[in-house]
Amino acid sequence: MKGYNGIILEIDLTSETINKKQIPEEDLLNYIGGRGLGMKLLYDYLPEAGVDPLSPENPLLIMPGPFSGFPIPSSSRTCVVTKSPKTFPLSKKYEHSSTVSYSNMGGFVGPEIRFAGYDGLLITGKAKKPVYIFIEDDVVEIRNASRYWGMGTDKFDKYFIEDLRDRKFESFYIGPAGENLVPYASVINTAARAAGRGGVGCVMGSKNLKAVAVKGTGMPTVANHKDYLDLLEKARVSFSEDTDNRKFWRDEGTTGALKYSSDRGSQAVKNYSEGTFEGIENLATESARKKIWKRDFACFSCALSCTKSGYAKGAYGTMVHDAPEYETGTMLGANLMIDSLEGLAKLIFVADDYGMDIISAGNTIGFLMECYEKQLIDKDFLDGIDLQWGSVDASLQMLHKIGKMEGVGKLAAQGVKPLAGKIGKGSENFAIHVKGHELAAWNVPAYEKTGISYTTANRGACHLNGGDISEQDGIAIMDSLGACAFAEGWYKDELHYRHFLSALTGLEWSEKEFDKAGERIFNLEKMMNYREGFDRNDDILPERFYTNKFTMGPKEGAVVDREEFKNKMDEYYEARGWNKETSRPTDEKLEELGLGFLT
Amino acid sequence: MNLSTEQSRRNFLRTLAIGAGGMAVLGSYGFIFQEESANGEIKAIVVDFTKCAGCRTCETACSAYNHQVEIDGQLMKGLGNPDLSNIKVWHYNPDVDIPVTCFLCEDAPCIEACPIAIDPVTGRKALYRDETFSTIKCDLDRCIGCGKCSKACHEKSGGVIFPNKETGKPERMCTLCDGDPQCVKYCPYGALQYLTITPDMPLRNTSPDKIAEKMIEQYYQGY
Repeated sequence: MKGYNGIILEIDLTSETINKKQIPEEDLLNYIGGRGLGMKLLYDYLPEAGVDPLSPENPLLIMPGPFSGFPIPSSSRTCVVTKSPKTFPLSKKYEHSSTVSYSNMGGFVGPEIRFAGYDGLLITGKAKKPVYIFIEDDVVEIRNASRYWGMGTDKFDKYFIEDLRDRKFESFYIGPAGENLVPYASVINTAARAAGRGGVGCVMGSKNLKAVAVKGTGMPTVANHKDYLDLLEKARVSFSEDTDNRKFWRDEGTTGALKYSSDRGSQAVKNYSEGTFEGIENLATESARKKIWKRDFACFSCALSCTKSGYAKGAYGTMVHDAPEYETGTMLGANLMIDSLEGLAKLIFVADDYGMDIISAGNTIGFLMECYEKQLIDKDFLDGIDLQWGSVDASLQMLHKIGKMEGVGKLAAQGVKPLAGKIGKGSENFAIHVKGHELAAWNVPAYEKTGISYTTANRGACHLNGGDISEQDGIAIMDSLGACAFAEGWYKDELHYRHFLSALTGLEWSEKEFDKAGERIFNLEKMMNYREGFDRNDDILPERFYTNKFTMGPKEGAVVDREEFKNKMDEYYEARGWNKETSRPTDEKLEELGLGFLT
Repeated sequence: MNLSTEQSRRNFLRTLAIGAGGMAVLGSYGFIFQEESANGEIKAIVVDFTKCAGCRTCETACSAYNHQVEIDGQLMKGLGNPDLSNIKVWHYNPDVDIPVTCFLCEDAPCIEACPIAIDPVTGRKALYRDETFSTIKCDLDRCIGCGKCSKACHEKSGGVIFPNKETGKPERMCTLCDGDPQCVKYCPYGALQYLTITPDMPLRNTSPDKIAEKMIEQYYQGY
């Protein structure tokens, strides 16, 4: 089909076989690419339910979308899809029951995969020794990576490109956290662009795969060249306008949300016990600009340049590839009551260097700080670390322990659910996760849509899931196209995504079919989770949100109303066409979406 | 789009002036234009590295214009495959992005290195400077694909010329897009401008590695 290469590159690291596999056209039509196509391939390749996510059988999929590689502004995203090593149902149907996982990254590596002639990579098996995969158009090799094992992502990023002797290569890789099988290890590219969530780096580590390097010289063809050029021109003109929206991303990036969120009482502060952080000014845009930021940088063909890099001076002097942004600034800042910008920058750099998900890491450290304050654990439990609120040094020690899987780090690496299980004493009430996946930097009380986003996300708690059905299906589509959520505002009306997809493929995508594809993808994920044993009982908010009242800020006193939230969830399942007792999509719904094979 | 209005030109130059001392590093174009330009101005692409965000839109715009395709008998811009581009943004860690296109060096080490004899009629070697926009062009009929021009460019200037993988003949020399450089037109950040240049602009004919070194020192204290 036009707009695609039509090929998935399959690499089995056990048998060292490489296979260029034709993608059935039907799958491209139904699942589009990126996250959607990745999920369909995950379903096809997982031999059965209950597969151990860290076993060689679990496929790791690196999925750019049909937009990736075309210079359609802000469409460089790539989805990493696999079975999650990070989630658990309340009642385990299988020993290794877990949800699907998908994690999204920007940068340049997704487009490069497309230039090399593939619509995605599907990696199975486990290498005997550390390896990296080398891809230069048709040439695909599995190479020794022993000399890189143990290397932090920043150093690796520098050395690897030197060794490849060609700066045109793009790559993605794991750090020591992935190598050591930290369940929330991330996949990193371009030094700090992370597919952070859902343990995708852990799965990569379990395959003994340090990195993938890719360079390509081609490009997929398009069906309607003139339409493509016209749309591209219009999009570029639209992005060239100096709007407030563009100004926000360029001037502040997601950092701008730090103060905004704190001011509106929606920030994760002190392990989610507050929604507003008194020290926020120290971490926010103005401060970062004055003290750290040197330049903005952008993903492939993006006019928004939301990433800011610089250098933090002083005792915590460090290179800063991208910091602080909203999630990292909140999870390792406000959530830990840390208001030293340089200290925060150091924490972010170190966590990225280990290649771990900063959201889960920050959430977990916050949980432990609260346990320590409440004397549910003592210093011995923490290997002697004095884990006080606001302590940069103690947090830094924790990150090292986690990344190395040493002592208490081995426990903390499992995340808050297993930790609460071990600590007990009521700590479950403030273990902030859904399905074992830690919540992100947006706090819940008084914003019920945020709650819905977390409880119903198919990878476990997810802030990017969308707070209602239409948002969720729309985001599933964006993740499948390779489009960036930050640029969504530009792609309306005559610039709607579906027009681009129509021009690329030559198929007339109606709004209805487009929305249905999003719904199909979301339901496929849901069914894969359901067969693992996840049902409505798993779609629950942490207890804290029903009982803990904020003591300050505009949402002082706010809690989630238990009954009201339950009703909202009922409405959600009904509107989805799902059984509201079990949360299973009905057979009629599955048939309607062309998912009859799941009934 | 970045229209080359007088206003934007002045603002741009002011930015460069403020950023002096290595902050603003400029692409460089030779005096050779002086005689040939009708109004006596030397116009060239100038890069402000403090503005480049490394998005590589310039590569796709260059490629689309310089590798057009015929669709239903009509010549149109190509898809924008960046691999075919004459401008290349090189990324480094610590994060700097260095767009480099042909500097049109006044001493043109590439032409100097070309071993093909000067044609007495045209006065050209196989590699020569075209009169219209002072760009470097290759006479593919005379070129033997020895690769010396590329080598010279990499040793003495920006490392812009690459030999064609099959023929060995030089590629990637900037065409200035017939006077409307597409990289300038589509740069979302105003990092590229098609401007009258002056001879005192710093870091001319310099390799991206060296420019990156300077920028890294400037931004990250040499981290």
